[in-house]
Amino acid sequence: MSNQRKRPNGEREEDEEEDDAEGIGGWERDYVDERSWEALQEDESGLLRPIDSSAIYHAQYRRRLRMLSAAAAGTRIQKGLIRYLYVVIDFSRAAAETDFRPSRMGIMAKHVEAFIREFFDQNPLSQIGLVSIKNGIAHTLTDLGGSPESHIQALMGKLEAAGDSSLQNALELVHEHLNQIPSYGHREVLILYSALSTSDPGDIMETIQKCKKSRLRCSVIGLSAEMFICKHLCQETGGLYSVAVDEVHLKDLLLEHAPPPPAIAEFAISNLIKMGFPQRAAEGSMAICSCHKEVKIGAGYTCPRCKARVCELPTECTICGLTLVSSPHLARSYHHLFPIAPFDEVPTLTSLNDPRRKLGKSCFGCQQSLLGGGNKPGPCVTCRKCKHYFCLDCDIYIHESLHNCPGCESIHRPKSVSMEE
Amino acid sequence: MMFKRKKPNVELCDYFENYEKADENALLPPGDLKEFGMDRGWCPYFLARRMVHFANVIVCSYQYLLDPKVGGVICKELQKETVVVFDEAHSIDNVCVEALSVSVRRSTLQGATRNLNKIKQEIDRRFKETDAERLQAEYNRLVEGLALREDLSETDQWLANPALPHDILKEPVPGNIRRADHFHDLLRRLLQHLGGRLDTENAEKERTVSFVSSLNSQARIEQKTLKFCYERLQFLMLTLEITDTDEFLPIKTVCNFATLVGTYARGFSIIIELYDERMPHIPDPILQLSCHDASLAIKPVFDRFQSVVITSGSLSPIDLYPRLLSFNPVVSRSFKMSMTRDCICPMVLTRGSDQLPISTKFDMRSDPGVVRNYGKLLVEMVSVVPDGVVCFFVSYSYMEDIIDTWNETGILKEIMQQKLVFFETEDVVDTTLALENYRKACDSGRGGVMCTMYFNCRGKVAEGIDFYRHYGRLVIMYGVPFQYTLSKILLARLEYLRDAFQIKEGDFLFFDASRQAAQCVGRVIRPKDDYGMMIFADKRYSGIDMRSKLPGWILSHLRDSHLNLSTDMAVLISREVNPKSLLIPQETEKSLNTRRIGEDG
Repeated sequence: MSNQRKRPNGEREEDEEEDDAEGIGGWERDYVDERSWEALQEDESGLLRPIDSSAIYHAQYRRRLRMLSAAAAGTRIQKGLIRYLYVVIDFSRAAAETDFRPSRMGIMAKHVEAFIREFFDQNPLSQIGLVSIKNGIAHTLTDLGGSPESHIQALMGKLEAAGDSSLQNALELVHEHLNQIPSYGHREVLILYSALSTSDPGDIMETIQKCKKSRLRCSVIGLSAEMFICKHLCQETGGLYSVAVDEVHLKDLLLEHAPPPPAIAEFAISNLIKMGFPQRAAEGSMAICSCHKEVKIGAGYTCPRCKARVCELPTECTICGLTLVSSPHLARSYHHLFPIAPFDEVPTLTSLNDPRRKLGKSCFGCQQSLLGGGNKPGPCVTCRKCKHYFCLDCDIYIHESLHNCPGCESIHRPKSVSMEE
Repeated sequence: MMFKRKKPNVELCDYFENYEKADENALLPPGDLKEFGMDRGWCPYFLARRMVHFANVIVCSYQYLLDPKVGGVICKELQKETVVVFDEAHSIDNVCVEALSVSVRRSTLQGATRNLNKIKQEIDRRFKETDAERLQAEYNRLVEGLALREDLSETDQWLANPALPHDILKEPVPGNIRRADHFHDLLRRLLQHLGGRLDTENAEKERTVSFVSSLNSQARIEQKTLKFCYERLQFLMLTLEITDTDEFLPIKTVCNFATLVGTYARGFSIIIELYDERMPHIPDPILQLSCHDASLAIKPVFDRFQSVVITSGSLSPIDLYPRLLSFNPVVSRSFKMSMTRDCICPMVLTRGSDQLPISTKFDMRSDPGVVRNYGKLLVEMVSVVPDGVVCFFVSYSYMEDIIDTWNETGILKEIMQQKLVFFETEDVVDTTLALENYRKACDSGRGGVMCTMYFNCRGKVAEGIDFYRHYGRLVIMYGVPFQYTLSKILLARLEYLRDAFQIKEGDFLFFDASRQAAQCVGRVIRPKDDYGMMIFADKRYSGIDMRSKLPGWILSHLRDSHLNLSTDMAVLISREVNPKSLLIPQETEKSLNTRRIGEDG
């Protein structure tokens, strides 16, 4: 069968690996320790499945969720919804190393692109800027802006690595840029550092103190090894320091920075921020758009204050500087402040005659049967408030993408106005 | 008081006077003694000595317990039930040996002669003045065998006897040195004899017995007289009220020498060398009384105190210490480091990338291939390891030579592109500056390489400078730190160990080298969450007799796959295994593994 056919292949690969044990190339390394082709099982219908991966995946996901909610612990955490984030990418000669395939540069660019998209997805009111470090000098690739395409284009434009890396120059540049933004915005820097040292023109400790005073939250993701100066920087400014072990880990670490971080207590002053909610222009109307300086027909938005035309939202009006957003953008940021509580696990040994089970033997979200193999109750979770049962996949989907519990939303409350289906 | 101060214009120390005036029941201070002393005007040093009586825990250096010269200060105050713990006691046998060793140079003899002249002056002056009664009183007391000054407490004898307490004869001072001028003449004869011995043509080695007999025959000094030299000098200086102790150090040294030579017959040797090994062309004769038996100095501690604990991070092999110090341990235990994951990665590197073996063996040291391989090793490791790298070298001359060669061949420049390089020199100020700048380089992210010695001063092992956390992410041991095997003292000691304790010379040398290496390596890991790598770069480390003597906490992390590496293999290991896997916390590591199984990527 297919399994047996796999065996000789597996063994042959093993021999090859033993032959050149010292010259293990990049891609082979990933498979040296865990031979995933051997961790296969046949289920009843003869199909190959990896050994019970879903339960492990779910357990790991729940652990992560528990960590996050343990931190929240029921209290409302104030988060920075309007973030001004600079992504600093190190293009020194260390970025050309090939321990990540195809090279550190390539991987960084690919994941930063994914990160930018995810970031704007979760934080539509925020802005990103890109800075690169090359030959010991920091260059601004793009200024702070809210459109993902322009950033990605600028990033993919030049991918070459050379020279030393200088952390201080990057911090100084970012500090200069971020000093100009208004006080309600959260100033953040995310540094992707692949070098092992930094050649600075002055005292980097002073720069770090400067950043700390200006409320700059610096986080570093290292690609080579842990450096003291990065750790110190993150500790002083309240950011996160982590080192990526491989590609997947790097992606995870980057995406961890997409949801908004908790705000620092002393600096979180509550402000009233002026925002405009522009109307969509009528089809067929003509106007010169203020971002491209061209004549555009049709689809566009009009700034409510100065009546200038902008092409897409969210953005800042170029004429009067008003932040223009639409209501779904705000709604998307809302769930960060009011996160959904994690569901409780149902112990699988509950007998089928348990009175609580009367709510149904199928998942409330996807209507699939909750029974596992052989009519025994499979793993499922339940919402504390509405007491509905959900399968594991729905649990993950609800917490990661939906941010609303369908059971709670569908409770009929005749007295309250909202939350009715 | 027997002796009133008749000279009112002698300079007094206010602090000491105030301290003395303070009542016995005066409140003892909490906290910092120096501040308290400044406030009240009491001498903090004597305060500290007084507080030894009342303290529950006393922290002091080894010498206060092992060296008879200063041992009286603390040792006599402690009760029998005290628990004595010797921490970092891996070189305790060296400390014991040095406590009882004396060396005398030409300069010492000259200084002693000057001191003697001054003493003679004082004696004459006092005979002429009316103060002659003081010397007479001293003589009377010595006849009666009484202690000189009653008002000084026992612990205040600033010239304590160098011989061990139980070896001091409890007899009155012999007749031929009771009078001050007789004693002075004896000292002069002794100095002359020593000067004559230093004028030899060849290096000599002899036992104390023969030295004493030659002293007897040539200078007419008996052995029993020698034993009392130190005590007698002490009395004399008290009588003459000589207060500048620093100036009289040479004569103290000579009397020290004389007393020890007279007291001990076994376990010591007299070695006369004509020049310092580092500068063979400059004649600098030195007469050394070296103690070989470490058990002599520590025996009183074992006898007196109920519990003695000897502990260290590199007491290996552990069964050698009871033999060296002549005691039977009640408990002898060795503990492994308890860590949740591998935080150290020791590696034994025996060849360079070109597969040539590397070593600091004497005949291989100047081989250009070896030097180049060592250089390449440093260059490669520096590009993989962040923050600080520490390199240990066997001697100053070796380090200077090898760095010169690296400079000429451009290896040093390559290293400096990645990290800044700092050296230790024989000058203390230079070294302190280099260390400070190295720390600054590591702190600011530029990274540094610190080139330092196994032994900080010749023969002495100074601890002190720790390279923990980011100051030492990698330690490279260039070579095996054997002691200078042509040193006569070492040879004499090895011979004595073989005869008295049946310890083979090779065993002892390996033991000494491995404890030194382990100690240097241990300076890199201090806090619990620290991590680092260690590279033992010498082909002799892979031999079983060397490796087995490394302490357990290193051996337990030394995998077989990390033995007998070449440079490129070491770089591969450090790149793959260490910096990344050591950094991520435990939970993330586990969850990473489970995720890899679950995902379809």
